[in-house]
Amino acid sequence: MCVTCLVDQFFPEVGIATVNSLRKAGVDVDFPSDQTCCGQIAFNGGFQSEAKKIAERFLDIFEGESYVVVPSGSCASMIKVYYLELFQDDPVLLERAQKLSERTHELSEFLVNVAGHQNIDASYHAKVTYHDACHLLRELGISDEPRELMKSVEGLELSEMQDSDRCCGFGGLFSVKYPEISKAILEEKLRNIESSGADILVANDCGCLMHIRGAMSRQGMKQEAMHIAQLLSPDADRS
Amino acid sequence: MAEVKTAKFKKASSQAVSDPKLQNTLEHVMGHFIEARAGAIEEFGDESWDQMRERASSIKKHALENLDYYLDLIDRTIQKNGGHVHFAKDTQEANRIVLDIAKKAEAKRVIKSKSMVSEEMGLNKALEKAGIEPVETDLGEYIIQLADEPPFHIIAPAMHKTKQEVSELFQDWLRTAPTQDIKQLCIIARDALREKFSTADIGVSGANFVVAETGTVVLVTNEGNGRMTTSTPKIHIAVSGIEKVLPAIEDVGLFLRLLPRSATGQRITSYNTFVSGPKFSTDEDGPEEFHLIMVDNGRLNLMRDPEFREALKCIRCGACLNTCPIYRKVGGHSYGWVYPGPIGAVITPVLTNIKQSKDLPYASTLCGACRDVCPVKIDIPKLLLKLRHMAVEGDSSQRSVSWIERLMIGQWRKTVSTRSSIERATNLARFLQVVVTKKGIIRNLPLPLISGWTKSRDFPALAPKSFAQLWQEKFSEETDG
Amino acid sequence: MVEKETKTDKSDFLQLVREAIGRKTPLLYAPDYPPLKSNYTRQQEKVRTITAKNLARKSKILDQLIENASFAGWNVHRVSDHESAAEKIGEIAASVKAKLAVRTTETILKSVNVDGALRSKKVTPVVLASGRYRSKSDLKEVAFKADLGISGVSFAIAETASCVLIPRKGVARLTSLAPPVFVAIVQADQVLENLDDYFAMVRLQFQKTRGRYPNYTNFVSGPSRTADIEQTLTIGVHGPGIVHMVLVG
Ligand code: SF4
Repeated sequence: MCVTCLVDQFFPEVGIATVNSLRKAGVDVDFPSDQTCCGQIAFNGGFQSEAKKIAERFLDIFEGESYVVVPSGSCASMIKVYYLELFQDDPVLLERAQKLSERTHELSEFLVNVAGHQNIDASYHAKVTYHDACHLLRELGISDEPRELMKSVEGLELSEMQDSDRCCGFGGLFSVKYPEISKAILEEKLRNIESSGADILVANDCGCLMHIRGAMSRQGMKQEAMHIAQLLSPDADRS
Repeated sequence: MAEVKTAKFKKASSQAVSDPKLQNTLEHVMGHFIEARAGAIEEFGDESWDQMRERASSIKKHALENLDYYLDLIDRTIQKNGGHVHFAKDTQEANRIVLDIAKKAEAKRVIKSKSMVSEEMGLNKALEKAGIEPVETDLGEYIIQLADEPPFHIIAPAMHKTKQEVSELFQDWLRTAPTQDIKQLCIIARDALREKFSTADIGVSGANFVVAETGTVVLVTNEGNGRMTTSTPKIHIAVSGIEKVLPAIEDVGLFLRLLPRSATGQRITSYNTFVSGPKFSTDEDGPEEFHLIMVDNGRLNLMRDPEFREALKCIRCGACLNTCPIYRKVGGHSYGWVYPGPIGAVITPVLTNIKQSKDLPYASTLCGACRDVCPVKIDIPKLLLKLRHMAVEGDSSQRSVSWIERLMIGQWRKTVSTRSSIERATNLARFLQVVVTKKGIIRNLPLPLISGWTKSRDFPALAPKSFAQLWQEKFSEETDG
Repeated sequence: MVEKETKTDKSDFLQLVREAIGRKTPLLYAPDYPPLKSNYTRQQEKVRTITAKNLARKSKILDQLIENASFAGWNVHRVSDHESAAEKIGEIAASVKAKLAVRTTETILKSVNVDGALRSKKVTPVVLASGRYRSKSDLKEVAFKADLGISGVSFAIAETASCVLIPRKGVARLTSLAPPVFVAIVQADQVLENLDDYFAMVRLQFQKTRGRYPNYTNFVSGPSRTADIEQTLTIGVHGPGIVHMVLVG
């Protein structure tokens, strides 16, 4: 398992929920303790040499045969898609990246397609709405799996928001460099969340979650933002 | 060349996002475009629509890879048809060709149908300077010509203007009575332009496609001004970017299916005009002279790089603008040149000045929505990433990233290079963040570069313990055992 | 001359293009591109197949044209013979209170007695042709003054509800463009199923005439429209806002 840097430092509870939901699916989970970050922030910033160094380190740490499960769409995309681009001129690293790419899965997609758990034995009583994180949806083409999982959670009602597939305006560095534009985009997302009538916003990417949650708490919205793993853990239901 | 204001992106975009009227218009119009497009492609189903895009993409790719051959073929065919083909390296040269033709014909008035390349050229200003009256005849273009503004959108140039504002422009320029009736506004424009149509000496049009095999300029229009422009004056001049080439006449069907659906969500536009030369001597009406100007203006800089070459496949449908979360907020003028939105952010820096346009490639969340709608499958996010890479590691004409950012990223890289250094750094931060944290959130992070973020959203505090620490405490024994 | 000095020479320009592509010299042969390869005989065969297909599917194609044309904003009138076509056109002219109508001189307009039908409704019919006036601007003046334009078509395309208009002697460009109302007379055997059918035929024509190909063609696929003000659809800007398709047969 790669928990991603955001989960590691800011949202460890998501990491714990990820471990729990994987274990419940009968998966043997290991956490290579040297892991830090996949290098996406540097890559997206145009710092390819820096990103390469981090990515090489990542290849070392996650060398082997086992699956690499990532609870985040954008980090999974970085590993599965962009590493291949990063190493396109280096046949040796490219081959390693290729192998890693094949072994790497985003959490929800892993649970459904690899672990074969469309039906999660979990219960969570709440009305939720789902935000399609951009990279999860458009780099990895994952949109059905998380929805299937949510539908299988007892007591969970999924109320789709308008334009669930539209970006929340995070974009990593983008939200730092252009906070006003980012905020304007985010506000549209918040409106859509609000009018979905859901109590909880669910996403599979801690970048989006951090962004959306940040605005929710600032604006005093009553809704919460949660990672999908947090709905799937056995002891998650608090209602 | 039209004035380049890309360096003002930050200022222009923050003005745009804080203009509630503009935000309203953008949301309304963009929503309309997106819905129309979705409705129009439904009849094909995802799979065959995707196949059509794939085919179109490979046709364009082939045309670009053999562009020298096809440009030559266009020249030969059009000459045979009695027309003239000119090649212009830059906009200055392109303007001069038009002016030479105009002077020879002693032209006083030029009518124009929509042409983005002529916007690049700043043709209207060049004509005015030479004492020739240019008249835009596409309704949207006419409106922004009166307002003296660049187009706001590739296919809806005046979408930011309300009917109230249009009415005011007409009152000022045409002395007409104020009205809020859009139909009435159209009639005012129609009547004003009829007079121009019947008296213009030259018609200037753009070109949506130029078919090499038959030497045919294809125009895709709705209002009828494109037909007027190519019918009433003595001379027709079409200006086109060199990338508009389609090899064969039988390629056109596919592109006529893709373009209007992607652009306005129409099955086809009201008019498609095919021009291969001047009128035949036996024809009843039509221009006696036909010129096609093929303009480079920096396109070969895109061509030189196999990855950027992709961007030349663009058929200017505008779909990427409509779906772009950034364009939908900052609008067209923020981008500072002729082509806004995602495709503008890719081509503007290369066609104008990479360093000056440094904001454009970074003003994107890389969400990928543009790539999904593009009818010729241009991987726009990839090209934006490439431009960012150039801003960091390119040559001195390309590097624009500040030393602060370089320093920060370098520092960050060192920090995440070992687990112990990241623990050290975050433990220190945990200690320091006490000052700014309340209930696990940070409402104002007084750090340079990041403070903008916390103006409108909270930043999460670092968790008391990292996941790695928790793993050690909670789980590791179980797995070890 | 100044012009010579400032203009980029074609061969220089093409060389720059070539270098940007990454090639030093011109191609020795035409690029390998299948749509450009098929020779006259093969194209003829292709068009024959298309014609046979369209004949076999004729009634379906006509239905499709009618459906798509109505959707695109045409007023479609299906009539069985030339007489009723003329009658219909008279009615249309009367309904828009036309005084002056301009028309073309295609063969179909020799069979459909438009002039008679118009006169009976007190509409003056005029053939828009350059020989009739002292100058070209007079032709424009008449065209801009007319209330109605009537023309045959070269083809119609069911897929897109398009009438294909090719100007030539007796068929002025402005007939179908300048007046606020336009009537197209379409014969059932002129209807093609789709765009590809049309472009295959055009290509054959191009090959047949060795490049003497119509220098100007228009598809008219509905009324003139704009949505440039507040994205509100408005019909009838520079071209006809009302369009009728009289389908004969
Ligand atoms: S890049 Fe693609 S979507 Fe954007 S305008 Fe060009 S063709 Fe259309």
